[in-house]
Amino acid sequence: MRFNLGEFEEIVLLVVAAQNDDAYGLSVTTAIEKELKRSVTMSSVHTALYRLEEKGLVKSEVGGTTKSRGGRRKRIFMISSAGKDALLQAKDARTHLWSMIPKIVFEGQ
Amino acid sequence: MKSQSTIQPPKLADRFFNWYCRNELSESIQGDLHERYDFYRTEYSPIRSNYLYWMDILRFINRHTLKRTSTRRTFIPTIMLKNYTLVALRNIKRNKAFTMINVIGLSISMAVCLLILATIDDQTSYDEFHSKRDDIYRVTHERLNAEVNIPIATTPMPLGDRLRNEYASLEHIVQFRRGFQGEIIDNGKAINLNGYFTNPEVFELFDFELEVGNPATALSEPNSVILRKDIAEKFFRDKDPMGQDLNVEGLGQFKVTGVLKELPGKTHINFEALSSFSTVASLEKQEILSESLSDWEKLSTGWVYFNFKEEEKLADLQNTLNRISDESYDEDSEYEVVFHIQKMTDITPGPLMGNQIGQSMPNFFIYGLVVLAILIMTCAAFNYANLTTARALTRFKEVGVRKVMGSTKGQVIMQFIIEAVLVSLFSLLLAIGLLKLLIPAFESLNMSSLLEWKLNPDTKVYIQFFIFSLVTGLVTGFFPSLYMSSVKPINALKGSSGPKMGGIGLRKSLIVTQLVISIVLIISSTLVHRQIKYMMTRDYGFQRDNIVNIALQGQDFDLLKPELEKLSFVEQVSGANNIPNTGQHYDIDIRKTVSEEAEKYNYFAVDESYIKNLKLELVAGTNFTPKQTEEREVIINEQAAEALGFATPIEAIGGNVILGDSTNVNIVGVVKNYNFMILYMEIRPLLLRYNPEEFEWAQAKVAGANPIQELKELESVWAGFDPNHDFDYKYFDDQIEEFYSMFYDFVYIIGLISILSIVIAGMGLLGIATYSIQTRLKEVGIRKILGAEGKNLVMLLGKSFFIMIVISTFIGGLISFFGNKAWLELFAYRITFGYDILGIAFLFIIVVGGLTIGTQTWKAMKTNPADILRNE
Repeated sequence: MRFNLGEFEEIVLLVVAAQNDDAYGLSVTTAIEKELKRSVTMSSVHTALYRLEEKGLVKSEVGGTTKSRGGRRKRIFMISSAGKDALLQAKDARTHLWSMIPKIVFEGQ
Repeated sequence: MKSQSTIQPPKLADRFFNWYCRNELSESIQGDLHERYDFYRTEYSPIRSNYLYWMDILRFINRHTLKRTSTRRTFIPTIMLKNYTLVALRNIKRNKAFTMINVIGLSISMAVCLLILATIDDQTSYDEFHSKRDDIYRVTHERLNAEVNIPIATTPMPLGDRLRNEYASLEHIVQFRRGFQGEIIDNGKAINLNGYFTNPEVFELFDFELEVGNPATALSEPNSVILRKDIAEKFFRDKDPMGQDLNVEGLGQFKVTGVLKELPGKTHINFEALSSFSTVASLEKQEILSESLSDWEKLSTGWVYFNFKEEEKLADLQNTLNRISDESYDEDSEYEVVFHIQKMTDITPGPLMGNQIGQSMPNFFIYGLVVLAILIMTCAAFNYANLTTARALTRFKEVGVRKVMGSTKGQVIMQFIIEAVLVSLFSLLLAIGLLKLLIPAFESLNMSSLLEWKLNPDTKVYIQFFIFSLVTGLVTGFFPSLYMSSVKPINALKGSSGPKMGGIGLRKSLIVTQLVISIVLIISSTLVHRQIKYMMTRDYGFQRDNIVNIALQGQDFDLLKPELEKLSFVEQVSGANNIPNTGQHYDIDIRKTVSEEAEKYNYFAVDESYIKNLKLELVAGTNFTPKQTEEREVIINEQAAEALGFATPIEAIGGNVILGDSTNVNIVGVVKNYNFMILYMEIRPLLLRYNPEEFEWAQAKVAGANPIQELKELESVWAGFDPNHDFDYKYFDDQIEEFYSMFYDFVYIIGLISILSIVIAGMGLLGIATYSIQTRLKEVGIRKILGAEGKNLVMLLGKSFFIMIVISTFIGGLISFFGNKAWLELFAYRITFGYDILGIAFLFIIVVGGLTIGTQTWKAMKTNPADILRNE
């Protein structure tokens, strides 16, 4: 099965996988901001998450209540097996492409 | 952490978010948002945090988060349309009485609105046939130092030439000059002709077309005239009018050089004939017309219309006009004038102006009508909503079932709006029928003939009517449908009473307002009617039965009088310059000695038969000496005797007064006061002067046994006497009534509006009565089981309405008492504000209220308690 992951979707999916069982909209947003030093809006992260869910790459369930959110529950996102496949595929594709770069390209630096 | 979470993000933002966001997502997203907001607060100022929060919320609007309403998908449920129409028709059929009330109420309001629509249409249809209508302008003026400062449509005549010579950008300049009017004796009949002098360019600027004649030359020669087609036919019948001579009395001989085609529409420039402008100079030289062509101070003789050659340079022209007025008028003089430019399409309806060239409806009148129409329809729509929601209780189950079967809120709204539109279309049919009845009544008003109202609705107007009724249906159906569609199916099917309707207090006060308005209108129209009746039938202090007033039309009274008196049924004939109590009056300066300041007194020029003929009572002195050749005697009324400083009428006899500049006359008699002027005013000092020269009327006292025969004989005497003029007569009492009947316009209009308001208020009452009784049906059932009698129940249900009616009568009575007192007090002779009027209005409302509430109460009482309580 072929997956078409956009660049931003791939990052979001990676973060969801990294935060294993603790990923929700805001946490993914802050992680991207902190780790990649890249500014993203919360809504675009949410949108990416919904799109990933529509594609079946993540699953979501409603978590327990926390006080800090005014009693509102989090929607926890978890990577699905299809999501894992998609990540591996993407990684493989990159490694494959990396391997095709002649050594000389980077040696000049 | 805890202290932070007490800081709440802006509430409005949250409300907005919850409004647009899907319920499934809103909780988790809002949680994130709040968490983020807490973070903002630790980093930034509250204002910046709030701003960021708002931005977050706005950014979240996208296709994932927006609510998905099913109405979006099936906005127009085409498949269901047939069903909705069917159900609506069934429903209309099943509740015949209810539908009737709704349709009647709506259609009466609608008919009035249609009338207003037709009037507006008629009044905005002026000058549409001119192809240059949007490019034509005219110059108007305003006198800066005049007492009353309203814009005037006329301009001084020299302005036309100044513009022609000094301002090259104008293409056509057309001037109209007053004064082309006079009698034309045709086949022994005198006919009045009214028109203007104008220049040939009139055919280029305006779309007046000639049926015969050459537009380029028809108005170039002096003393040529073109006639409107109907006028030409009147004068020349089958003959070819071209080249014929027309003798306009006072102006001279004119030659017909053209006949105007019938106008395709209305125009604000009203004329029967146009004469060449080149005639004016010679007429002014002969002093037949007063000098105007070079007189800048003759501000009311003419009008000037023009258009621009290429582009419109309004500001540029205004500068030229300002320069011309600066050069032509002294500053600070009485005649300091400024000129303005007015677009022809802004003339009628347009601003209130003096010296209009034809009739013109002021635009505020149109705005007033529009506001009235909106008010009427708002009331009608409110009542429709009130009635429909009141009856909605019976239809909750239907809505419930529909919803269970998968109907969405939007579809239910659609259904009820379609129903309202259908009712509204039915009402339109009835309203058009009513309109057909209203139009003749409306056109017979004196007012409407003044404004040339021709309300013949054409296709365009009917299309407007149709659109209007569609919109009415949409608006009236909107609120009931919102209410009906908010039913929760589970409640509806369980049989509970449906969603609560808030604001019963608001509805009650609205009804009280409607009732108050109806009461004020009923009382006012009754009062106006009574006052007019009173003025017409009151004893004026002079005889007016069986007197025929014959207009002399320039004939010699002394010759006519013996001819008329030869008839056996004519008792006597007197002459007068004016008919009392018909709104006209003449006055003259009077003083006792030359050194005194003169005062103005009303007078009638009469002869020695006048006092006897009108049965005036001489309280002192004698009648005029017959056949005076010079004015030497005067008779005054008691009021004048007092005003001149005589202690008693007898003392006045023999007194000497000076009339006008130097006419010395002796007071020979004093008549008892009588109402010679409109009853609006107190009796003023009056002079009866012996002055046959001024006579305009012969007043013949007839036996009155056989009016038709008498008139015939009078007419044959007149025909032998003056074959040129038609016999122009009026019965004295008719003439007075005719004058007062102008006031009936008000009675008609107020009467119509009061009927309308009663219908609207009645519908409102019915609606609220139905609603409140339906909601109390169970209570009534229980009371009946516990042994309540009919009259107790009537008391129970009717009490609050009775209180409403009493309150309205009280408020309405107060308002109409003070409101009507204000205008009644302007009348010197007036009726009193009787309690009977208040009683009539109260009774009227009680009857209307009793009928509406009574039927509902009766229905509630008749229902079997078992039926109502079965569900419990």
